[in-house]
Amino acid sequence: MPYFPTTPIAKLTGHTGPVHAVAYSSSPHSYILTGAADRTIRLYNPSKAPPSSVAPTSSAAYAPGLITKYNAHGYEVLSIDVNGANDRFVSTGGDKIVFLWDVQTAQTVRRFTGHAGRVNRGVFGGEGDSVIVSASFDGTVRVWDVRSSSYKPLMTFSDAKDSVTDVLVFDGAIVSGSVDGRVRSYDLRTGYCEVDVIGYPVTSLTLSKKGTEILVSSLDSTVRLMDRGNGQLLKAYRDQAFVNTDLRVRSTLGLNDSVVLSGSDDGMTFAWDLLGGTALHKFRHSEMREMRGTAEKKEKGKKDIVSAVAFCPSRREWASAGGDGNVVVWGTDS
Amino acid sequence: MSYKRPRAISPSGAQKRPRGAGAASTTITLGTELPPDEDSDDGTFVPVWKQTVTDERGRRRLHGAFTGGFSAGYFNTVGSKEGWAPKTFVSSRSNRNKDTTQRAEDFMDEEDKAAAAESRELETAQSFATIGRVGGSQNDALFGLFVTEEETMGVKIAQKMGWRRDQGVGRKVCRPARLDDAAGATAHTFAPKDSRIMSAAKEEVNRKGLGYRSEARLGATEEKEPEDRPMLALPWLEGPSKTKAPKRAAPKKSSFGVGVLNDTGSDDEDPYELGPRIKFNKSLGKDKKPKKPSKLAKAGVEGIVFKPKKASGESSARPQLSYDGKPPLPGFVLATQIIDLTSKKRYPPPKVPSGWKASKSTTEPAHAKSHQSVSDAAKSSTLDARARASLLGEKLLSGKSVFDFIPKDVRDRLATMTGKVNLPQGRGEGAPEGYEDPNSTKPKDLWTFVPILDKGTAAAALAKGATGWMPYAEDPNKRARYVSFLELRAGLKADLPERAGQTSVSNWAKELQEFAHAAEVFKPTTGLMASRFISSTATSLPGSGSSTPNENLVRRPAARPQDPAEQAAKLGMYGPMTRSTFPFYPSRLLCKRFNVRPPPDPPSADTNVDGAAFGGRTEEAVSKSAMDKMVHEVLSQGAPALQRPAWVGAPPEQPVEVSEASPIVPGGEHANVDVEKNDALTQERAPEDVFKAIFGDDDDDDDDDA
Repeated sequence: MPYFPTTPIAKLTGHTGPVHAVAYSSSPHSYILTGAADRTIRLYNPSKAPPSSVAPTSSAAYAPGLITKYNAHGYEVLSIDVNGANDRFVSTGGDKIVFLWDVQTAQTVRRFTGHAGRVNRGVFGGEGDSVIVSASFDGTVRVWDVRSSSYKPLMTFSDAKDSVTDVLVFDGAIVSGSVDGRVRSYDLRTGYCEVDVIGYPVTSLTLSKKGTEILVSSLDSTVRLMDRGNGQLLKAYRDQAFVNTDLRVRSTLGLNDSVVLSGSDDGMTFAWDLLGGTALHKFRHSEMREMRGTAEKKEKGKKDIVSAVAFCPSRREWASAGGDGNVVVWGTDS
Repeated sequence: MSYKRPRAISPSGAQKRPRGAGAASTTITLGTELPPDEDSDDGTFVPVWKQTVTDERGRRRLHGAFTGGFSAGYFNTVGSKEGWAPKTFVSSRSNRNKDTTQRAEDFMDEEDKAAAAESRELETAQSFATIGRVGGSQNDALFGLFVTEEETMGVKIAQKMGWRRDQGVGRKVCRPARLDDAAGATAHTFAPKDSRIMSAAKEEVNRKGLGYRSEARLGATEEKEPEDRPMLALPWLEGPSKTKAPKRAAPKKSSFGVGVLNDTGSDDEDPYELGPRIKFNKSLGKDKKPKKPSKLAKAGVEGIVFKPKKASGESSARPQLSYDGKPPLPGFVLATQIIDLTSKKRYPPPKVPSGWKASKSTTEPAHAKSHQSVSDAAKSSTLDARARASLLGEKLLSGKSVFDFIPKDVRDRLATMTGKVNLPQGRGEGAPEGYEDPNSTKPKDLWTFVPILDKGTAAAALAKGATGWMPYAEDPNKRARYVSFLELRAGLKADLPERAGQTSVSNWAKELQEFAHAAEVFKPTTGLMASRFISSTATSLPGSGSSTPNENLVRRPAARPQDPAEQAAKLGMYGPMTRSTFPFYPSRLLCKRFNVRPPPDPPSADTNVDGAAFGGRTEEAVSKSAMDKMVHEVLSQGAPALQRPAWVGAPPEQPVEVSEASPIVPGGEHANVDVEKNDALTQERAPEDVFKAIFGDDDDDDDDDA
């Protein structure tokens, strides 16, 4: 991968707590939405935020590149997902409510209540983003109808025996990953749910573009690429320095599904070659630089966590969100 | 189309009248002129309302808007003999359609009407009460027919005259208002106070025909006192003065020929002679015979009324009302005393004639004498327990009481507690021969020190210890004793808990109590509490303080049933072993939102061989034995080759390198697992044509059309 973006091109500052969620906006992918433990969601224009930008001293002042703040959450924000038309996004967090926002007015359009625990993930799904699928700590996956005004979920999948950490929607399938070490793929067409046992608590799911492979992060410091068709392991991505045993750390696929990217518990971001399984790059988020070699094992700070990574689907660019409240956007020099 | 047509050209010169009167016509007309063609359009001026529209065949096309409209009817048959005759429009604005209510008769033919006429019955209208009146005078049969529940005409008239209900009749009285606070009350005119009508002051209206014989027929009569007012009377018109009058009974009618009107005035010929021997007032006004007790006067002393028992003669003359306030039925007399049914007359049994002997004599006359109760027999018996035992052939127990076995001090305690001093001496003997405890008496005593612990609790504590935390981690020996105690209480062992070294029995017992308390913590949660928790299926992380000493110490009662899929996943054997499938049924609306065709109805139970309940069951794709076999093969030969994604090009040249931390055994042979075929998917679903046959004509296949 000669052109893996390794240079920090932007730094999104302003959050006062660890950033839990990073999401690129839809089609032009020119904006970044971040959700953090400080209960705010922020919309940034990364092109206006140089890497040298520093957080403003007063919280009222807008950080460079910050467009809007979305305030409604009463607890930490754990996930953000933008719909295809770029006019709505869904955010979930510790307040057991799924928020549906209007981007322009910065107001919530709908609030779906019903989960009994914090909501780990909320994604759009269905045709024309007509539903929201949310995964919660209460062990359920609920499907909410955006189009009707019903306050009840369209459906509730309560098969998981533990907290459901991630969910994704692809075509006619809803895939959920749970702490009970299982990935459940509900196929709405056939009416069958395929359960793949990973063996370790699953923290993050990413689907390939074709939808036939799924990238699974689990708490055994391993990222696995599984074949959805028969449940076989295609590749396991590990590294000696890669630690992910305690925290929900996101992983993702990038560069047209050729690179596996994952955050870690100790502030590093790892990029693996999808085919070879070799670690291509390591980045230290707090220092905003790539790490070479394997020897240096820095003392892990309290805030040294890369909890979320997001790859820009159209450009050679990705973003890593850290426990220090900053989001670093990495790109190529040119 | 209603353009004004051009005027006809001025008449031709030929038609022009010659100006000169004398000038003769220069042209000669031959033949007769054709009659003017009415229909043909010769270009002459026709006013709009006379114009007609015809089609190319000359038929009239446009009728009046209200007479059929454009091309009305079937090919211009409007107005013709075959077509319908157009009606001129009549506005319903002023001439509203009469809302004639339909009756059932409108829909009846002659037969129905005849049947209806037959079934008709004559009934009174709603306002009439039932025929007659309950409790009323029975001789008003005819008038009873016409008693209405409505107000009578008299009431209506009185109301028209200004009378209101609950007012008295008469001149208005000027008096101060009777208010509670009497101060400053000014005088107003009030209606007179309504005085209640004495229902007793009622006269019987008799309408009797010829030859009517009233109660004279009956030997005895009882005076009636009907509650109801006479039906056609206006009692309030009798005035208040009359209410004070003693009750007057109407003169009884006597037999034919002699009536009140025939009274000659002579007292010797009493027309009421035939009636009951009761004296009546025959004149209004002053009461001539105040001896007769008035009913009103009686009402005052109702509370202390004394009823003589021998009042039968008086009771016949006195009006009597039964409990419901009505006079008893004619011919009946109210009972004056209540018959005591309990004090029934008892008749002595018939005397048995002397010398009579029953034919059915008992065979054993002595038996009856010998029959006695068990208690009596026991009393009379001289046998003691020993003798009874020997009679019954029982093996003699050592005939000892409890006191033979209890120690002396216990007996003394018993004696002091009960206060009885005549208790037998406590001997403190051992058990008799053949009945001793197999264990020696010493361990038996020790058993009493082992505290009771619930079996479930002990098992839970053991299970908890096997998987995670267990107390006394600092003292392995103590922990071992704890475990043995738990095993004993869980029913896995039967021997006494071991005692460590030289500890005394009391210390040992104390420790056992401590164990029991510690194990109580692991009491399984029940009910509401249990429903709130889900036991975690996530296992402890690898490398997090492996507890090898624990493994040795804690003897696991049974290997914890581990999910074979989890086992396979730990071994890195992802594939058919780690995959299972269960059916679910997405809601229709969800499928609609995803724009997918919903799966054919609940994956029917008939395709499931065992017919298990749909929904929650997970089915293992591979059986347990097959799984074990596969695990064994993998362990012996290595993991199956990793598959490449379909979109990845050529497979890698060398075996995939995995870091050292990986538990996966790289490379190697294929296990005997058919990875191309997933039995879970193929075996579970019925063939497609089955679904097609059942759901083939499903309507909502719009998603397919789209």
